Amino acid sequence: MTTTTATEGMPAAAARQRALRRTALWLLAPGVLWMVLFLVLPILMMVYVSFWTQTTFTIEPTLTVKSWVTFFTSETYLSSLWTTVRIWLTVLVATLLVGYPTALFVGLFVRNKTLQTVLLVLCVIPFWTSFLIRVLAWRPMLGKEGAINLILQGLGIIDTPIEALLFSELSVVIGMTQIYCVFMVGPIAFMLGRIDPNVIEAARDLGAGFGRIFRTIILPLSMPGVVVGAIFVSVMVLGEFATSAALSGRKVNLLGNIIVTQVGSLKWAFAAVVGVVLTVIMGAVVAALLRVVDLRKEL
Amino acid sequence: MTTVLQLSNVSKIYAGVPALDRVTLSVPGNSYVSLLGPSGSGKTTLLRVIAGFEEPDRGSVTLDGKRIDGTPAHRRGIGFVFQTFALFPHLSVARNVAFGLENRETGPSLDAAAIRRKVAEMIDLVGLKGLEDRGVTQISGGQRQRVALARTLVTEPRLVLLDEPLGALDANLRTRMRGELRAIRERLGVTFLHVTGSETEALAMGDTVIVLDRGHVGQIDGPDALYNRPASPAVARFLNCYNLFEGRLGDGAFVSPVGALPLPPRAEPLGGGPAYAVRYDRVEVRPPNAPVAPDEVGITGAFVASEYTGSSVLSFFQLPDGRVFEVEDHLSHRAPPVYAPQETYGLVWKRDAALVFA
Repeated sequence: MTTTTATEGMPAAAARQRALRRTALWLLAPGVLWMVLFLVLPILMMVYVSFWTQTTFTIEPTLTVKSWVTFFTSETYLSSLWTTVRIWLTVLVATLLVGYPTALFVGLFVRNKTLQTVLLVLCVIPFWTSFLIRVLAWRPMLGKEGAINLILQGLGIIDTPIEALLFSELSVVIGMTQIYCVFMVGPIAFMLGRIDPNVIEAARDLGAGFGRIFRTIILPLSMPGVVVGAIFVSVMVLGEFATSAALSGRKVNLLGNIIVTQVGSLKWAFAAVVGVVLTVIMGAVVAALLRVVDLRKEL
Repeated sequence: MTTVLQLSNVSKIYAGVPALDRVTLSVPGNSYVSLLGPSGSGKTTLLRVIAGFEEPDRGSVTLDGKRIDGTPAHRRGIGFVFQTFALFPHLSVARNVAFGLENRETGPSLDAAAIRRKVAEMIDLVGLKGLEDRGVTQISGGQRQRVALARTLVTEPRLVLLDEPLGALDANLRTRMRGELRAIRERLGVTFLHVTGSETEALAMGDTVIVLDRGHVGQIDGPDALYNRPASPAVARFLNCYNLFEGRLGDGAFVSPVGALPLPPRAEPLGGGPAYAVRYDRVEVRPPNAPVAPDEVGITGAFVASEYTGSSVLSFFQLPDGRVFEVEDHLSHRAPPVYAPQETYGLVWKRDAALVFA
């Protein structure tokens, strides 16, 4: 009874407040410690290292902006920055175009909760194989003698195989859309599933057709799901390097690919510069997306 | 009176179980009609069929002489007020009310100023002035009820369906809204079809009461006629004010598990039986050996408990066959009765106060 007894001269309410605060502190401590050690400190370290002096084989803690200047004056790196942004936006739109109708079907048209769960699990089944296999499986699909070209040729739609399907920006976009689409479907389906069916019936009863109901009721009520899905997809696509390495034939260099190459050749300072740039972009994207809806109010 | 809504032989079957079984009824214009039925009687299904959220398997639904079954819900011009209100959670009070005028597919299209004026008028009518810009999650249950009503009424439907509209309100508010609903309806001259599971609400609100019993219409009558002459034992049971005995119709008496009950003189038996019914407040409690007059019927029962409601006392007696028999004493003319627990009393009523169903 030592913890619950009111301390001498302290009212019971204040004592309870203090006990609650102590409990909260204990619950928070492991998470905070973990985040400080393995997130905050490394990020600070990364910013610091990006100003170190890099020579061919060594790196020393003499502060310089040389790596930063190299990044922002080099055609290669700036074009890679632009490619990253372009591919991110394309994949974001593609996952939304593929994911929203799917989520609409699962979350709104399937009213049986069990069937809903089954369908969502079906979306996740590809994740039971490894990431690399999922990416590499696109090669026999998209290749010059791959399934899509063979079928199109067999149907007589094309004479010569479409080469642009594989080892191009298109194949990277296709691969990423397939892999990250489910992260868009999940949150949107969740929000749509929470819409009271009576609300949609009420809108119908007031004379609105489906198009109107979608625009005025369904879309606004699903926006928090769209934003959460967009955050998931954005953060993952911006940090991507494996899909573009496997499906672009080294033609598409994302910021992630540059980090991998630079770390491989021990250019730590330069890799740190790219890392900081990427982190800033992600932070800006997430902050911008969060301004679209007030998630705290919606969830 | 003109007929607004006419249902003919409407049936609806869910997984082999009939939810509606050849329902035929007509709803007169400019009136308040209540639809009474216990849960599972098909009353919500009936409303959904009328509104167009479900289509009947058989039969026809006619509104103002035009068949509307098969017409999508948003082109029927029927208003629906949901039990849970189903307000648009992301819109303000005024935007909720304006929704129908701004988004309807049919009906006159109005310019923004006309919509604003109509919305303001309707908000004023239901007493929500000053709350126009509030979110619908920031107002009380009673206010939400008014928004739901205003949102429907502003589109000027010919018929408004209310699905247990008072069910989500607390008792105090419910009584007040009863009067307001009737007043609003009278001012607009539309027809309300009010679904409820509460017999007091149905009787208090309706100019006409429709009783729905396991998917078919049990009775359509005025509240007074319904209360005093239920058409069947099932209807009498929903009214929750009749003691019912099953048994068979014998020669000059009804043979029930508690003995032969003399039939009321010169009364045609009603349908749906056999059963014998006597209203709670028609029964008099006497000492067990008190004489029973020739125009009276008497049985005995042991007092179990009573419930005090302020204006009356409901007493429960256990009859020899184990069933519970209820007696209601109105307190306006007399002091509350005092009965001893487990004591046997005589329960007596006039022969012509009883109803017999054949």
